[in-house]
Amino acid sequence: MQPKVKRSELDALAEFHALDVRKVETMLELVDARPTRAEGLRFLGTCLRIAGVLSLAAGLVFFVAANWSRFAVFGRFALVELVLIACVAIAFVKPPPANLGRGAAFLAFIATGALLALFGQTYQTGADIYELFLTWALLGLPLAVAAQWSVATAAWVLVLNVALMLFCGWNPTGGLLWSIFGGMQFRPAHLVMGAAGLNLALWFAFEFWRFDAVPDWVRRWMLSCAFGFGTWGGVIAVTSENDALAGLALLAAIVGVAAYAMRRRTDVYPLAVVMGTFIIVSLVWLGTKITFSDEGVFLLMALWLIGTSTAAGRILTVLTRRWRAQVAA
Amino acid sequence: MTTVGELSEQLRAQGLIAADAPVAPVHNTDRPWFVALLQGVAGWLAGIFLLVFLGLVFRPESGGAFFVIGTLLLGAAWFLYRADRDAVFLDQLALAISIAGQFAVAASVIKDDLSGLSIATTAFAVQVFVLIVMPNRIARTLAALFATIAWAFTRRFLFIGELTPPLGWVLTWLPLLALAGWLVLREPQWMASSLRRFARPVLTGVLLGLSLGGMAAEPFSVMILGTESLGMRFSWWALFPLLSIGLALASAYGAFRVRSAGLLGFAVLAALLHLSRFYYLYGTTLMWKSVIMLTAGALLLLAGVWLRRRDPHAEASA
Repeated sequence: MQPKVKRSELDALAEFHALDVRKVETMLELVDARPTRAEGLRFLGTCLRIAGVLSLAAGLVFFVAANWSRFAVFGRFALVELVLIACVAIAFVKPPPANLGRGAAFLAFIATGALLALFGQTYQTGADIYELFLTWALLGLPLAVAAQWSVATAAWVLVLNVALMLFCGWNPTGGLLWSIFGGMQFRPAHLVMGAAGLNLALWFAFEFWRFDAVPDWVRRWMLSCAFGFGTWGGVIAVTSENDALAGLALLAAIVGVAAYAMRRRTDVYPLAVVMGTFIIVSLVWLGTKITFSDEGVFLLMALWLIGTSTAAGRILTVLTRRWRAQVAA
Repeated sequence: MTTVGELSEQLRAQGLIAADAPVAPVHNTDRPWFVALLQGVAGWLAGIFLLVFLGLVFRPESGGAFFVIGTLLLGAAWFLYRADRDAVFLDQLALAISIAGQFAVAASVIKDDLSGLSIATTAFAVQVFVLIVMPNRIARTLAALFATIAWAFTRRFLFIGELTPPLGWVLTWLPLLALAGWLVLREPQWMASSLRRFARPVLTGVLLGLSLGGMAAEPFSVMILGTESLGMRFSWWALFPLLSIGLALASAYGAFRVRSAGLLGFAVLAALLHLSRFYYLYGTTLMWKSVIMLTAGALLLLAGVWLRRRDPHAEASA
């Protein structure tokens, strides 16, 4: 969607050459910077259809959460199961990547989660809430794959990460993940870094094996989740636990992603995420290490933030320009 | 057409610029949205640390002392921006100093009048001042964003209890929607004038504000998730989060018109945030919310399909 010449560059050109309105209009046409009416309508149509599918999905989830007393237990299950079956049937008749099939497969994925939630709500299984999301992610994976749609992939990544976040954040002592990791004397920082590692593995996998259903923005989403957990684990490691293993794991992730991005020379986003993580974790570490007066702490932290973010911005800006020029050449 | 250099050649070939026109200099201030985000957040946090540091060192107690500190900081930020106009090296320092200065000036005004209206109007005035005065695109964009949100709260506190919520919503957002629409439609006009220095940051800031700011104008609104309104009987207030989603989608369309993937992504995220707030916050039962969402979903799908059928290229691409 974004033209190669950015708005700020077009503004600069218009200013430098003192272009009048007609010349600016021609310049915008040359770089295809303003969508036509037909493009605008197509965008609106796509937006409305996606918003419609998401609204239906939200309506289904709200309905299950409402736990409506006028429906008996059988009726509630029958309704959600009918929706699930209907969506799967539509996806079979009009298989993805047809729009109808994509939407139906996505709704089937949401209905799977709703059905699991209804099961837990009705029978009070005693399962931790992370187990609901984890089971949803596992059972919904075939539907997310079948949808062949970036929105469905992103939703699946969201569900998986909610499960991981709930597991790491609440640190429950039950359920599938706990049965695997509970007896191994893992510390919270290790669990969080494990979640980061899982997201990172997904990101690396889809960097190597490219699929239309996992476009750039979904891969960026995976990487953001990875370093969201990485930052969390890093902060735990430098504050409460002084955990060298978690720190080393984060360092390895930072070095690995930075090296990969520098080798590919196409997108600076991975470097930006890595630098953001470094700035936050190092800032927290600095706060824990300084023991002199309060005033000095705040000044030093302000200067550290200014220095690191300036350096990060400078490096990323220069690399962006250089890599864009290489691609253009 | 891929680079500025190639575009310049094309402009020259079409006679839009003189054949011997010099090559436009490369501007170092151009950066991707996520870099601007990283630097903006870091600058804000640094500004707060700086203000705490200055507060601990000078221990100002009167409004006048806050005002003097704030004015000096804003002056220093202006000087740094001015001195470093075509580079980025001092930008972060200037941003942090500017943020600290804004807080200090605002504190000097609201110190003795800590009402919602006083805070909102002061924040709005400070942001408009920064928008006009600071010679930097990121500073102006941030000022436009916060001015948008401050405007929503100012309108809200100014007419509290005097306007019905729907009328209040219209008075808050219609001017901003009109401003964004005008800026999008008139882009070539203001690009050809010196207004571009203000119009671009204002457009970006207002689109960001439209995406996120809807919650500021809603009844019962709180800035964090809460459950105080769960289980209420249905009222039309329940539709307000949908209006916020509508604002975010209008912002998404504006982002599409200026071909900004970053703004578009932000608007979509904001719309999803409003949807999750609708689940937790708003004034009716989940059953009604479910009915609302199912109805809205069906209508949106129908409208989307109708638009697709009107598109002659759609069948070919399907």
